Amino acid sequence: MAPKKDVKAPAKDVKAPAKKAEPAPAPAPEPAPLPVVPAIDLSAVKVEFSPDQIDDYREAFGLFDRVGDNKVAYNQVADIMRALGQNPTNKEVNRLLGMPSADDMTAKRVEFEGFLPMLQTIINSPNKAGYDDYVEGLRVFDKEGNGTVMGAELRIVLSTLGEKMSADEIDALMAGQEDENGCVNYETFVKHIMSV
Amino acid sequence: MGCGVSKSNQFHKSSGKAIRSAILIQRWYRQYVARTEMRRRYTWHIFQSIEYSGEQAQIKLYNFLGYLMDNFTPASNERNLISHIFRENEVCRDAEWERYFCYKNIEVPEIYSGPHLTFPLTVEQAVGLVEAFRNKKQLHSRYVLQLLLETWKQLRMLPNINRISTCHSKEITICGDLHGQLDDLLLIFYKNDMPSLEKPYVFNGDFVDRGKDSIEILLILFSFLLVYPSEVHLNRGNHEDHIINLRYGFTKEVLTKYKMHGKRILKLLQKIFSWLPLATVIDQKVLVLHGGISDTTDLGVLARVDRHNYVSALRPPKKRHQSSASLSVDSDIDEDIWSPNKMFLRRKSLTFLKTVPRDSFQNRSLQDFSDRIQVNPADELCQRRPSVFNLGNAAPEKEMAASVSSESLSVIDEWKQILDLLWSDPMNQDGCVPNEVRGGGCYWGPDVTEDFLNRHNLQLLIRSHECKQEGYEFCHNRKVLTLFSASNYYDVGSNRGAYVKLGPDLVPYLFQYQASSMIRELTVRQSVGRTERSALKVLREQMFAHKTDLICAFKTFDSDNTGLVCLSDWASAVESVMHLDLPWRMLRYQLVPCKTNGGMIDYHEWFDELAIKGPNADHIDQSLLETLYRHRSTFETIFRIVDADNSGFITIEDFRQTWMLLSVYLKMEITDDTISDLVVTIDRNQDGSIDIDEFMEAFRLTDKKSRLERGRSMFMGTATDLTKLEGDPNI
Repeated sequence: MAPKKDVKAPAKDVKAPAKKAEPAPAPAPEPAPLPVVPAIDLSAVKVEFSPDQIDDYREAFGLFDRVGDNKVAYNQVADIMRALGQNPTNKEVNRLLGMPSADDMTAKRVEFEGFLPMLQTIINSPNKAGYDDYVEGLRVFDKEGNGTVMGAELRIVLSTLGEKMSADEIDALMAGQEDENGCVNYETFVKHIMSV
Repeated sequence: MGCGVSKSNQFHKSSGKAIRSAILIQRWYRQYVARTEMRRRYTWHIFQSIEYSGEQAQIKLYNFLGYLMDNFTPASNERNLISHIFRENEVCRDAEWERYFCYKNIEVPEIYSGPHLTFPLTVEQAVGLVEAFRNKKQLHSRYVLQLLLETWKQLRMLPNINRISTCHSKEITICGDLHGQLDDLLLIFYKNDMPSLEKPYVFNGDFVDRGKDSIEILLILFSFLLVYPSEVHLNRGNHEDHIINLRYGFTKEVLTKYKMHGKRILKLLQKIFSWLPLATVIDQKVLVLHGGISDTTDLGVLARVDRHNYVSALRPPKKRHQSSASLSVDSDIDEDIWSPNKMFLRRKSLTFLKTVPRDSFQNRSLQDFSDRIQVNPADELCQRRPSVFNLGNAAPEKEMAASVSSESLSVIDEWKQILDLLWSDPMNQDGCVPNEVRGGGCYWGPDVTEDFLNRHNLQLLIRSHECKQEGYEFCHNRKVLTLFSASNYYDVGSNRGAYVKLGPDLVPYLFQYQASSMIRELTVRQSVGRTERSALKVLREQMFAHKTDLICAFKTFDSDNTGLVCLSDWASAVESVMHLDLPWRMLRYQLVPCKTNGGMIDYHEWFDELAIKGPNADHIDQSLLETLYRHRSTFETIFRIVDADNSGFITIEDFRQTWMLLSVYLKMEITDDTISDLVVTIDRNQDGSIDIDEFMEAFRLTDKKSRLERGRSMFMGTATDLTKLEGDPNI
């Protein structure tokens, strides 16, 4: 793509604005759908990143900016956060964006300074998962308690529950994980997926 | 397994848990996808930056040589070394050309197992040629020359802009860059059938360079052009240019495959390239051209230029004298009239050149070249851009009538039109700015597209010139379509290729493909990983080639000489030297896999692990080796230029003189002794000549820990190369 010659990124010494309001990290949304979701006040979020971190994030942000206006589309925000190591659900991100419509997701854009408090919110949320969480999560589907889950069942679950995955996504995820009986050893699986 | 009766009950009981688990996995997976996408993007960035800066380097080199041409006396040795590449084609008369390229004396031996061609060509022969190439046969030079001659005759009859239509419900297939990748062309023919009366094609330039089967692709395209002259249309690309071919592999390919007649073939191809049409218009509504447009592009002007005068788009054609009606259309540069007032520079005056401001040529892009055609200091052109060539020199006076000045204006306009057409890229912001990344053409914005299409009553612009991940990409509100047909261009798995079909409704239907059965077995992750590793390897090489500059840059951040810098400083230093606009912070761990000391980077450690393998290089200065390594692409290009008869060898004396030339270009001191040392090392068999390939092979980067494999020819040997002279602190 054409380099963004004409549109320079803001000066590197942009400091995170210090907010005097009480730091109010957004409460972690429940995985189950809630009837009404309170809006998040982003201006109340205290952005506490170091200059180094901000530079890191700016780089990632820039990589996803396909237009060259130093902004990204709403529908890219979740991916940038994930690329930066966070794990938000789509629902969490939609809340941060103010519950945008499908049109908004493609049409509206957010600039880097607006992105930072969103990222901060996600980072502050206690909804972190580690190796054990994933293993436990998969153990739910381990009917025989023998350390394996049925690949077929996993597919059904992933495509029907939660934030549904498409068939292609599931295929890519499961590629090479099922043994000759169609079972997946989930501890190995989790180690594998966490190693990328 | 695990198919208990109560499964559904269990499921229901823990559905809350199940949902949470599902979400957990889904979240994880989406994170993995995003991170993979990130890696893919910066990998792409790396390849593209290096590719474009290589093109820029080539143009800079060419500018430098042109500068020399203008400032050395006609008789000087340096000038003679390189003047032939600026010499437009001698011999103009058709009959003379035909005699020069006579193929009739070339015997085809009995033992030859490739296809035999008879003219006029039939479709069976064209199809047979495709088959033969698929089976790795090579066409005999006799037939090559014959085919090229016929092609030339055909091309000469074509206008600059082909106008075609989708009448009779015919769909027109348009293909983008092929770059010598025969597999892709074969794949397109397989999926879409070969050209025929029912299957018209437009091929949008860049048929050659980089890939290994450029000549075969040309021969196939030309065959079909001859068989179906109304159905097959070829547009010229920026790589249909012998200057570019010197660097990017086509010249080498032809000389290697056709040892006896390669030189003639190349010469004829120079002519043919200049006769390739510039653009194609479909149904008066869709414009197909290779690079793009600028805010001054005018199809009317383009339709009228003498396109064959532009043998290389990098150089404006010599001014045609009013009084030279008897001269051939293409005049030789040696017929310049030199003003008696002009200071003649002699060989010794290399020192003179050294005091000329640094940016006299390195910083110039081709746009600035328009100054070189100035005829009259009073000419308004002088004010368009300040010409550094006028420093200390009178503007070269030519015996022009004043009326010629307007003619020269149009020569520049024409040249710029062609340059823009072949080299420009679209950008997302409005406006039109010079394309300094590539060194030629413009970046043009959506407003320029809008204006241009309206002015010419068009609705779509189809162009190529840029590699795209999916083989194609729309921009400017879907008014511009970039089409790229060389899949796996940067590396196996890097991108798909695409072609487009237009029916009478002029709605583009896109078809994608990826040549190589190996691709299908690679998962996305593996594919990204492979390409990423490849890109990083190339990047590491480039960084190593700039070791001295990098260490200097690091030191500016490390005044206490601790050998350590923080990440931010490291990234700034690297970008200031490399000028690639890459996400260095993100790449750091992959580029410099050393342990950090409390968040700081030890900038010496990494370099110590790599070394340049040189031929008995012990007695040769390390920094010279490094310079050699860094500019090896430029060296090779210059050597090939000096090797005027394309033999693959240059004499020791020429080698010596080339070094003098290079030392000026690189602004480095190089003594005769150093050159002698180098010569002794390189000329192994002491026969007074140097094998260019051997010389290039001698300088490769090896990793002490693990040998680096030879990468694709794009990145080693005839590799792209960064001539970052502006940033060289040693000057």
